[in-house]
Amino acid sequence: MIAGAEPINNSALRPPHSERGFVGWVRANLFGTWYNSLLTVASVIVIGAILLFGIRWVISDADWTVIATLGGQMIIGQYNTELACPSQNCFWRPQASLLLVTILLGMAWGVAGGGLTKRIAIGISVALAAFALLPYSFERMGMDVRLLLAANIPAVGLGWAIARYTPLGTGRGIALSAIAVFLVTLILVHGVPNVPGLEPVPVRHWGGLMLNLLLAVAGIVISLPVGIVLAMGRRSRLPVVKLLCVVFIEVFRGVPLITLLFMSQVLVPLAFPENFPQNSLFRAGVVITLFSAAYMAENVRGGLQALHPGQAEAARALGLPGWQTMLFISLPQAIRNVIPAIVGQFISLFKDTTLVYVIGMLEVVAISRAYIQGNTEYLASAKELFLFLGLVFWVFTYGMSFVSRRVEKHLGIGVR
Amino acid sequence: MAEMKDGAEDIIVCRDVHKWYGDFHALRGVTTSIKKAEVVVVFGPSGSGKSTFIRTINRLEEHQLGEIIVNGIKLTNDIRNIDAIRRDVGMVFQSFNLFPHLTVMDNITLAPIKVRKVPRAEAQQVGNDLLDRVGISDQSDKYPAQLSGGQQQRVAIARALAMQPNIMLFDEPTSALDPEMIKEVLDVMQELASSGMTMIVVSHEMGFAREVANRMIMFDLGTIVEEGPPEQIFEDPQNDRTKLFLSQIL
Repeated sequence: MIAGAEPINNSALRPPHSERGFVGWVRANLFGTWYNSLLTVASVIVIGAILLFGIRWVISDADWTVIATLGGQMIIGQYNTELACPSQNCFWRPQASLLLVTILLGMAWGVAGGGLTKRIAIGISVALAAFALLPYSFERMGMDVRLLLAANIPAVGLGWAIARYTPLGTGRGIALSAIAVFLVTLILVHGVPNVPGLEPVPVRHWGGLMLNLLLAVAGIVISLPVGIVLAMGRRSRLPVVKLLCVVFIEVFRGVPLITLLFMSQVLVPLAFPENFPQNSLFRAGVVITLFSAAYMAENVRGGLQALHPGQAEAARALGLPGWQTMLFISLPQAIRNVIPAIVGQFISLFKDTTLVYVIGMLEVVAISRAYIQGNTEYLASAKELFLFLGLVFWVFTYGMSFVSRRVEKHLGIGVR
Repeated sequence: MAEMKDGAEDIIVCRDVHKWYGDFHALRGVTTSIKKAEVVVVFGPSGSGKSTFIRTINRLEEHQLGEIIVNGIKLTNDIRNIDAIRRDVGMVFQSFNLFPHLTVMDNITLAPIKVRKVPRAEAQQVGNDLLDRVGISDQSDKYPAQLSGGQQQRVAIARALAMQPNIMLFDEPTSALDPEMIKEVLDVMQELASSGMTMIVVSHEMGFAREVANRMIMFDLGTIVEEGPPEQIFEDPQNDRTKLFLSQIL
């Protein structure tokens, strides 16, 4: 060994103490400097005060009876009133649709085989069944309603069994079943003329969260493929196709949704044959879907734009024709890359369904507002009511955001 | 070096090929032909048109004047001719261009299944054989991002071979690789050459050219300035531009 030379030490070392553990983290991030410490203390005081007063208000001062009184109206609006559904009980129809959705969840669990999907499926069905135990009188919430709610638990099991023991237990099977469930839901809720027990309920009586969800699901399912087609059209080399898509996108993005909704009542009828069965809900659905599709198109186009041109080149060099290159190479990568933007658009669409109140449809916010305006004894409960509505929307949108993050993680975005 | 195939037929014929990018004249009258089982290394300074040249052969770039005939099919705007040629001409890119959302096996079997309508099981069988041939048979379920650069390029070669092409184009296949990975890719290419594959390789790997090529083509300013067997190019280059270029890279 050369005199004075130290032996080389290149074994892996542990990080210094300050970088480790809870204490190290607190010291580094909360009390790193004197002004950090000051900010930390001030923040703790402010957050603590908000929590203290907030929780006290929620528990003791607030009067939540308005929500209990509104009850089923928030879910289905005027759907089950004497006017909409004379001399019978129509509540079972949306409830039966809900059971079908639970069966779908069970099927997803059966295909996924456990994990998060299982917990979501069981969690949602148990939560729905728990509504059967609400301390209402049987006059307000009958045994039939309670039994149908409780049936969500066997329904999830049934879905699981279907996925396990029938050929429907594949991704494609679930997708097809989902489309079938949506159509059956529309038929159930709408009713069939001259069938006892399924008397049609006019669309103007549909309402509540049911209306928001129907519009949102239809909008989400249809706007994505329409948006993809528009995005491809906007990148087309054919000038007429390109121009049409650009005009469509820019017009629908450039006009406020409320304006489009007003216009829809006048303009959509012109686009369909005179005897085509339509109604204000259908028109609103068309407009919301196309509005969302215009945004979706730009999201997808952004994803396509970001792809390395070598991807399409490699596919073409292998002899894949243009449409297969788009279908198997470009679109899957483009859509994966813009999942956050697409889910953002889904969330936005769901919240925008509340705007159909401008054409007189009693979706969940509108019917709640109408209720407190019509029942002056609840005017003071507006705070509680709108807080609750905010929470309801947040639960749904956070659910979407949560699932999208799991999907992203599953697809390995960011580890490429 | 493999022996020259004098009696073999011309499999690629280029006559006075011109290509412009806007006003820029990228290919200025390229005329050459390539015989079956010939291995041609194309080299030259950057921007000289060598990549553009091999990309016109499978029509990733369109030429505007002259004619190119591949496997007896003349390259025109007819999309059926183009797709037919692309099925028989494999290409390997500098940046690999593997499909990141597909596994190694799916990268290899996609085109045979979708384009050649090979049954999946059979395509996977072929895929396994090819992965074996390029020396990474244990990686078929991985995604491209989980492989090293050299492994990715070998998958890209296997992917091109899965279509059972009779011509392979290599566009600077080792330029994006670390030195220790270059050899593993060149070994695969050398094995391919000795199996009788017709190959056009854009590369500055002069060791590979000397050992494997039948012919070398020097590009400059969009034209072929010199071509000949490697020993002539290395020992006795005729053109001053070739001499200067070789003196700078050797």
